[in-house]
Amino acid sequence: MKGLLLIGGKSTRMGSDKSELILRDNITQRERGIQLLKSICDDVFISTAEETGDHHIPDAFGNIGPLGAIASAQQHDPASPWLVLACDLPLIEKEHLNKLLESRDASKVATCFISATDQLPEPLCAVWEPSSATAVKQAIESDKRCPRSLLIGLDAHKLPSLGLWPLANTNTKADLIEIRARLDHTTTTKQITVSYFAQLRELAGTPSENIETQSETPAGLFEEIRAKHTIPLKRKGMMVAVNGDFTDWTHILKQGEEIVFIPPVAGG
Amino acid sequence: MKFQLTDKPIDTNALREAVLDPAAGGFASFEGWVRNHHQGRDVASLEYEAFPDLAEKEGDRIIKTILLEHDIIAARCQHRTGHLQIGEIAICITVSAAHRDAAFTACRAIIDSIKSTVPIWKKEHYTDGTSDWVKCHACAGHHHHHKHNCNA
Repeated sequence: MKGLLLIGGKSTRMGSDKSELILRDNITQRERGIQLLKSICDDVFISTAEETGDHHIPDAFGNIGPLGAIASAQQHDPASPWLVLACDLPLIEKEHLNKLLESRDASKVATCFISATDQLPEPLCAVWEPSSATAVKQAIESDKRCPRSLLIGLDAHKLPSLGLWPLANTNTKADLIEIRARLDHTTTTKQITVSYFAQLRELAGTPSENIETQSETPAGLFEEIRAKHTIPLKRKGMMVAVNGDFTDWTHILKQGEEIVFIPPVAGG
Repeated sequence: MKFQLTDKPIDTNALREAVLDPAAGGFASFEGWVRNHHQGRDVASLEYEAFPDLAEKEGDRIIKTILLEHDIIAARCQHRTGHLQIGEIAICITVSAAHRDAAFTACRAIIDSIKSTVPIWKKEHYTDGTSDWVKCHACAGHHHHHKHNCNA
């Protein structure tokens, strides 16, 4: 088994290079990812944009994201399965990767976990088998570059979700607050009232509910609610209100607050 | 309140009278009507739902901001909630100003702003019996190329 660490994300939402963030053990996410992979793989490579070097695999298909990185690794060694891991998953543990390898089904194109929020496959903490290479290349050639969409359409071996947090990534500042609180064990329990309107009211099946949560921000709370009510809406493009007025997703929740999630509005 | 939600038919004349002023030399208004088609589909009716407290607070803020930024005298807006039939008025904005340019510009700025931030949603009921929340599908599911169309 070879390991591939993905560090090439553009990190546009965080505004800084996610792979260089230091969140635990005094090492960067990049270094932690390498160590994790080295502890269970025979050989570990880093996917890079152009940078060449020892154990680097530069993108052979241009700057097209993670699927290009996976294809480049498969081109590098077509015979080996690849354990692909994104560098921005600070809460992932060695036990989770062990679980992935122990449950691996080499007769399928890939082995992956499913997401706690939408039950869709998680492509960036997964084993991609040599048999997936044809489909990966075809997807790239037809401009379908989303690894998740590809796995949805393929016969992958899907493992039960690890829960809401192990695969949480550091895409936004609010994600980072949630992840830091969990790493530091500083989360607190609070009761929050969530009111729903329009489509969210229909999806939640109630106009309002009281939720006991460990989440620090509305962002974490929304992920809980997505999982609880199988809500297909994503945070991106949405606004949020606390106690009757707009707030940021990085707002720190306090006991007794009232939250309203606001999908794209459509008045007029 | 310069911005109000109402579940009753909008009295456009009352909104016009609310902005009358001896110093005004021009008046502009915008009415949004329920139309029988949207993106190629036949629409039978529309349902509007608001997050009332914040919709009125934000609507009021928008009008107050526009009053500061444009050389106008007064502005009002009402937005409907509930189930509306084809041809009904969903929103009415009235603006008075000393001169026409400011009245037109401010009226346009108010509707654009309301459509982007006031928490009101609409569900379209189609003639084929199906229905859909407008725009919400844009952030639903596993999509990559979001199209945020909003055609008043």
